Amino acid sequence: MSQHYPVLLVTVPLLSAFLISISGWLNKRLCFPIAVAALASASFFSAGLLSKVIHKNVVLYRLGGWAPPWGIAYRVDYLNGLVLVVVSLVALINLISTYRSVEREFSEKLGAFYTLYVLFVTGLLGITVTGDAFNLYVLLEIASLTGYGLIAMGEEDRAPLASLNYVYMGTIGACFYLLGIGYLYIVTGSLNMADISAILPSLYQSRAVLSAFIICMVGVWLKMAFFPLHAWLPNAYTFAPSAASSLIAPLMTKVMVYVMLRLMLTVFTPDFVFSAIDINRSIVWLAVIAISMGAILALTARNLKKMLTYIIVAEVGYMVGGAWLGNRAGMTGAILHLVNDALMTLCVFLVVGNIVYRMKGHSFEDLRGLFRKMPFTMGAFAIGALSIIGVPPTCGFFSKWYLLWGGIQAGHYAFVAALLFSSLVNVVLFFRIFEIGYYESPTEAHGGGHSQGSIEEAPLSMLVPLYLVAVGLVVVGLYTGAIVNNVIRLAVPPGIV
Amino acid sequence: MKAAGLLIVILTGGLLIYATADFPPWAYPQSPASTHVSPRYIEKSIEETAVPNVVTAVLADYRGYDTMFETTVIFAAGVACFLLLRIRVEEGPEEQLFRHSLTGMTIRIKDGRKAPSDLEEFERIDAHWVPQDLIIKTVCRILIPFIQLFALYVIAFGHHSPGGGFQGGVILGASVIVLAMSHDLRSSLQRMGEKVNALLCAAGVLIYAGTGALCLAMGENFLDYGILAPLFRCDPVMARSNGIFMVEIGVGIAVMATMIRIYNNVSSAGRYDEGL
Repeated sequence: MSQHYPVLLVTVPLLSAFLISISGWLNKRLCFPIAVAALASASFFSAGLLSKVIHKNVVLYRLGGWAPPWGIAYRVDYLNGLVLVVVSLVALINLISTYRSVEREFSEKLGAFYTLYVLFVTGLLGITVTGDAFNLYVLLEIASLTGYGLIAMGEEDRAPLASLNYVYMGTIGACFYLLGIGYLYIVTGSLNMADISAILPSLYQSRAVLSAFIICMVGVWLKMAFFPLHAWLPNAYTFAPSAASSLIAPLMTKVMVYVMLRLMLTVFTPDFVFSAIDINRSIVWLAVIAISMGAILALTARNLKKMLTYIIVAEVGYMVGGAWLGNRAGMTGAILHLVNDALMTLCVFLVVGNIVYRMKGHSFEDLRGLFRKMPFTMGAFAIGALSIIGVPPTCGFFSKWYLLWGGIQAGHYAFVAALLFSSLVNVVLFFRIFEIGYYESPTEAHGGGHSQGSIEEAPLSMLVPLYLVAVGLVVVGLYTGAIVNNVIRLAVPPGIV
Repeated sequence: MKAAGLLIVILTGGLLIYATADFPPWAYPQSPASTHVSPRYIEKSIEETAVPNVVTAVLADYRGYDTMFETTVIFAAGVACFLLLRIRVEEGPEEQLFRHSLTGMTIRIKDGRKAPSDLEEFERIDAHWVPQDLIIKTVCRILIPFIQLFALYVIAFGHHSPGGGFQGGVILGASVIVLAMSHDLRSSLQRMGEKVNALLCAAGVLIYAGTGALCLAMGENFLDYGILAPLFRCDPVMARSNGIFMVEIGVGIAVMATMIRIYNNVSSAGRYDEGL
């Protein structure tokens, strides 16, 4: 049984998505339980896989029984084992937490919504688990297409346009990735990642390989919204329905960062990325710009959700920069930050979901007096905010520490400065929210007939998962040492020192 | 802005052309693409899968897992289309038009009023109504069964010639769309309702993924059709061929139903009332 975990991880949610679609027409009340069961089993399989990787070794799986490179192979190692656990857990927690708001917003089309939700997660899990460069593209299509659909269901007037914008940019990004893989196929004749990386060393001087690498990278950067290719992200995530934005915002960009790491570490290998071509310092400079611009744009936002989307843009800069520093600390920081940022983003977007559920809006005006109205939600928000700022013992501190250390070791002080600058800006951003929520009282027009001091907290089914995540931020922070020593240290290839 | 766009396009194009310098020459027999993976497909596919068409063997067996997800992409497109476009109309459109078939007169029923009950004489027509064309209607009615027959042939004959589930499914879907265009959306919905169509969408992909899961349940890897031999009462190589046929049927159903679903949603702007 356990040798089939890699494929069960993807196909159980896949089959469940079809069942959800059918039960949407026959008995709507079954949709949610099936979705929960699917993602819970995906979490179980991914946890099982990670422990298998830690205790034994890399897990391989041949689909259709064909040996790679002729057939498609799944390959789970330390790097994607960790990402799989994060993706499936985040998706599961968000699913449970947003049950009420989905019921309210999509009562007519529950089946279709949950079908796309589970398919989106299937796509992300498939991208992460696969060892085949083309299979990755097919799953990327599924994750993107379902993501566009989910986002477009948001605010009536603006979400479809934002989603259309995302469709254009996302399609270009995916096409670039595909084109790069096509180039690699022309020069290597293979689509299997391990096989390509075995053939490539003799071709490191080839211009086709260099172009393939650049095209793939640009495509992946587009999909992860690396500044200046971020333009689609803020609107798409702001106007998406809250259940979809708290799913897509933590996961899509992180999984694309994982794809970048996979291309850099496995397909093209560090020898090529950091030695054969000499571009890594300039990429870190791009990351410096991304971090600074993300921070500055976040300052201009007048809306909580939009502010958070710009923070995502800055965080993507952290991870890209850390990965391209080319040393062990930077790479460790990037991988650790991938995990942490998924959790932090989930935490703050769940808070936004709760606020929207009660206040029907997420502009700064809606936040007035919120600490009195929704004390528990805002308490969790404070933990998430501290983690994004990088205050110990929350997990955000530790990954930032690794990134800073990596920047210092590489002698890239602009990157260090950008990290510190963005942390300071985050302090300003979040304390402004605290100030509005704590000191400003709701205006008459808004408070209306409600008594000012009364608590109108989100339902328990939304608060419990939120607190699970908030506590998780601290727990992951405290166990950083264990995660780094047992998983991430082994995920970084020995070639990187 | 325009200049910047042009510059980016030129740079990208330049990069793509720059890369071609190190490509193997055209039709070079020793190129990696024709020496590394593909020889096995060309030489061994018939003895390993019993499928004469190499493309089908690669598509549905060697890389069948990709194709399963390609079918899922189509399914997801159908679901997304439904999620975005479908509007539930409580009382039907604001006004309905009826044509008295004996006199050719058209009457307009405003919202909430009672529609003529005698549907023998009164025929519901679309707001943008073109006089029924006898030739188009009759030709389509005669043609549709043959289109469907050909679609089934394309699905079944994918093993031997170009064809397969995707192509056959599109043709099958087109036959129903032709009916909707030559008559009206309501007549096509009478033959395949929304619910049946949606269930077929899911059933098609479920057949594909279910075949894979069946292999898993019988103790082999996912989509390893060879293990299905006892079910088909044949040897494992022939079982691969039969397994491929099963998933092709699934693909055909899913593609057909999704084509119709997208057409219905887009042409009626999600109302399922009046089509094109």
